[in-house]
Amino acid sequence: MHDETDETIARIAAALRPLPDVDRAEKARVLVAVAAERERMRAARVRAARRWRVSGAVGVLAAAGVIAAIWLGGSRADSTGATTSASTSATAAPVATPADARLARDARGLTSVQVVLRAPAAQRVSVVGDFNGWDSRADTMTRDPVTGLWSHTLALRPGRHVYAFVVDDSVWMRDPRGPEAADEDFGRPGSVLLVGQP
Amino acid sequence: MSRPRSLQLLKPDARAEAPAAGSPGERSLLVRAAQQGDVRAFAALVDAYYARCLRFALHMLSNRSDAEEAVQDTFVRVYRALPNYEERESFEPWLFRILANRCRSAGARERRRSEIVEFGEVPDRANERRHDEAIAWREEIARALASLPEEQREAFLMRHVEDLSYDDMAIATGAGISALKMRVKRACDALRIRLTEDDGARRD
Repeated sequence: MHDETDETIARIAAALRPLPDVDRAEKARVLVAVAAERERMRAARVRAARRWRVSGAVGVLAAAGVIAAIWLGGSRADSTGATTSASTSATAAPVATPADARLARDARGLTSVQVVLRAPAAQRVSVVGDFNGWDSRADTMTRDPVTGLWSHTLALRPGRHVYAFVVDDSVWMRDPRGPEAADEDFGRPGSVLLVGQP
Repeated sequence: MSRPRSLQLLKPDARAEAPAAGSPGERSLLVRAAQQGDVRAFAALVDAYYARCLRFALHMLSNRSDAEEAVQDTFVRVYRALPNYEERESFEPWLFRILANRCRSAGARERRRSEIVEFGEVPDRANERRHDEAIAWREEIARALASLPEEQREAFLMRHVEDLSYDDMAIATGAGISALKMRVKRACDALRIRLTEDDGARRD
């Protein structure tokens, strides 16, 4: 038996060989999916090793600039002051709503974390991260017309999370004042957020 | 700071003429770096192999969105499996093994949906005459290819389009070399008969 590469087969192969057009967004989607997989793998490892125990009874939200607050059982326990010098009066977190309090008491052990971004010119902002599969439609932020701050409350498991903001469906940015994720996310920047065990 | 380098790797201009992972040597360096957790190296591998993977998936699945999904899933699986990848294996057949598996399961799903899938756009009658011969020929090939049994189509594409050696094809498919040669031969025979007939009919 031999490889029969006659003229017809050569013509067929030549017609099949041109590479398809690929736009950059397609490759970017692959990298986002891979980033999400990496976070799932990391979370699984972390869960297995129980390495996520963060010191401190309440836990620490280490995200400077993402003005973040943790509410536990309805009583506000804002720990950002312990880890960040960036919390200023201009970026104070809004008061917890009853919905936040309910999230904080969630039997699944989820903790309410509010993320805030100052982006006055933006039309639409969402927060993406390992917690929502890097899906920019999952957690859309709301703009406060008075302060111009975009905010959203996430219900997060204890542990380390990597997140970023997607502004106007086109600009991917890490939190300008949050701690940068040490590992570049496939060329996409991210920030780290630590949520303690309730 | 390493960011500027990573951006350069992903810059379209940088890859237009000379892909970041051009030679086999460079690719194996990239694979090794990716294995050690270098995400920029993994991004460069995606950059280098995406179009080829998509070409294979398109010919296997005949549907762009299914093909894109298969390729995306392939890279996620490659990433997950990288720690188990051994350097004595070649990366390319290893990648194609994952891709071909993914295409096979997508193909099975497609068949279950019993969807009639045409390759590309079916021209309406008004446009039919303006269709030039090259396009008609490509469509004919696509139909002939789609009519082959899956394993023959896969073997034909790996051999004649992806230029894999039979040794590499054996790694990629898990089949023996003589079985693969048989699949390629049968695929060639079927394509030759079908396309020579069609070609003749068109010229008449």
